[in-house]
Amino acid sequence: MSLIQCIILGIIAGCTGVLGAWGTSVANYTFSRPLVGALLVGIVLGDIQGAILIAIPMQIIYIALVTPGGTVAADLRAVTYIGIPLAYVAAKSQGLDFSGAEAYGLAGAFGALVGTVGTVMFYGTAMMNLLWQHYGWAQLDKGNYKIVGKVDALFPLISQIVINVIPTILILNVGSNAIASFKEALPMGSWYMKTLFTIGSLLPAVGIAILLKSVVTKTSDLLFFVFGFALAAAMGVSLLAATAIGGVFAYLNYRLATIHSAGPVISDEEDI
Amino acid sequence: MKKVSKKALNQSFWRWWYGNLTGFTHEHMQTFAYMWAMLPIIGEMYASDEERSAKLVTYYPFFNTEPQIGAIVVGITAGLEEARANGNTDVDDEMINGIRAGLMGPLAGIGDALIVGTYIPILLGISLGFAEGGNIIGPLFYIVVWNATILAFMRFIYFKGYELGGSAVEVIVGEQANAVKNAAITLGQIIVGAMAASWVSIRTSIALTAPGEDVPYLVLQNSLDGAFPGLLTLCFVLFCWWLMAKKSLSPVKVMLLMVVIALVGVLLGVFDPGLNY
Repeated sequence: MSLIQCIILGIIAGCTGVLGAWGTSVANYTFSRPLVGALLVGIVLGDIQGAILIAIPMQIIYIALVTPGGTVAADLRAVTYIGIPLAYVAAKSQGLDFSGAEAYGLAGAFGALVGTVGTVMFYGTAMMNLLWQHYGWAQLDKGNYKIVGKVDALFPLISQIVINVIPTILILNVGSNAIASFKEALPMGSWYMKTLFTIGSLLPAVGIAILLKSVVTKTSDLLFFVFGFALAAAMGVSLLAATAIGGVFAYLNYRLATIHSAGPVISDEEDI
Repeated sequence: MKKVSKKALNQSFWRWWYGNLTGFTHEHMQTFAYMWAMLPIIGEMYASDEERSAKLVTYYPFFNTEPQIGAIVVGITAGLEEARANGNTDVDDEMINGIRAGLMGPLAGIGDALIVGTYIPILLGISLGFAEGGNIIGPLFYIVVWNATILAFMRFIYFKGYELGGSAVEVIVGEQANAVKNAAITLGQIIVGAMAASWVSIRTSIALTAPGEDVPYLVLQNSLDGAFPGLLTLCFVLFCWWLMAKKSLSPVKVMLLMVVIALVGVLLGVFDPGLNY
């Protein structure tokens, strides 16, 4: 990776992420997603198809990242703008087939490795923003109410540059040079490479479980989860088809709930 | 009778759409974003800088919710601010902040479960299907559909909130809304099951071979799949869920535990990805 490529990716990293400078819906929920960010990474690296293939296993690990109350498990910008480029360079330097199982496992492992970098960046940005808010409160005390826009949208750009842009450029630049000798240093049959790839296959289970936690309130809800699992695993139903089947259950559930509340009280039966 | 202009409402909306988290800190979270979004409204309702400063004080307290669905709260307070400027004495600091504080929690719950926990993963799942083989349609589909729908949704609830003012509270925490939410969550539960089966693949390499034989008489993976396809995967997902939901372990700790399980499993011969360069 050339320095220019590292710099462009670093700037994009500053614009995306949970607190990114493109604004939540575009920054975090669009271009931080590995699958979507892969488009930008692919344009910068000159191989959109390869970048997307690398991004798919990472996207699956981080399919559901709910950030309740401002706590984050991982800020995806590091996965997308550090993990994808480095995994791409590693796979390419070893001559791996991007659509093969090796590249898939490698990408998953890289995604897991850099996940925590994003968390550090998130907390760092939020900490540095305290400086601007401190100044903002002081100005508000003086009656300068117009300051709030600058405190919310302008000054935090400095936090982005210091905490996200520069570190991303450095990690990419150092990392892509070190990765060239990857193949000799890390033979695929070694216990540590086997472990790395096994981690790559276990971590998506955590991602799905985080998602599961956000939709399950009581243990009996798990029945619907197992039902959905059986649809896909045993009956081979695709995700879109499962959405249609799930939609029917959701509609029935809604009808039952509204009949129950609108009609006369018939009995105290349990919810279905 | 003062009325907030369409222009000021639009400006307020776009500021919230863009800036809801850009200036985030763990001290006041979304407070500055909220004030920035309220300025166009306050600026139009009150002429002097002293009055404007004084009214902004209402929005000093801590604010934090799922910011996209939270657009409705900004809309509600825009409506309330208009009522206050027209001399409605029911609307005061306590009332506005009561509504803000009362809606933060429920909206965060709804937004996290439905937008972040259900809608986005479903959309990503569909996009992953389109992206197979590295197809650019996958990301393009997500960019267009997600941004168009979330923007339309945020605009709709912002302006709905403005129209309804304080009476919007009933719509959000009422029985009808609850029924819709529960129905959507049922859909989410089924989809998450299908996602787990489609995307997670945990396999064991355990096989037992009788002495002198070439072919193993027991391949554990096949036996498990014969009982329930993907049983091992299902057990791992449920195990992770149990650790987080019932044992209150953080996701990071569960991930670290998976690292340990992978290491021990490889050393014992339970897992073997069987890959070569």
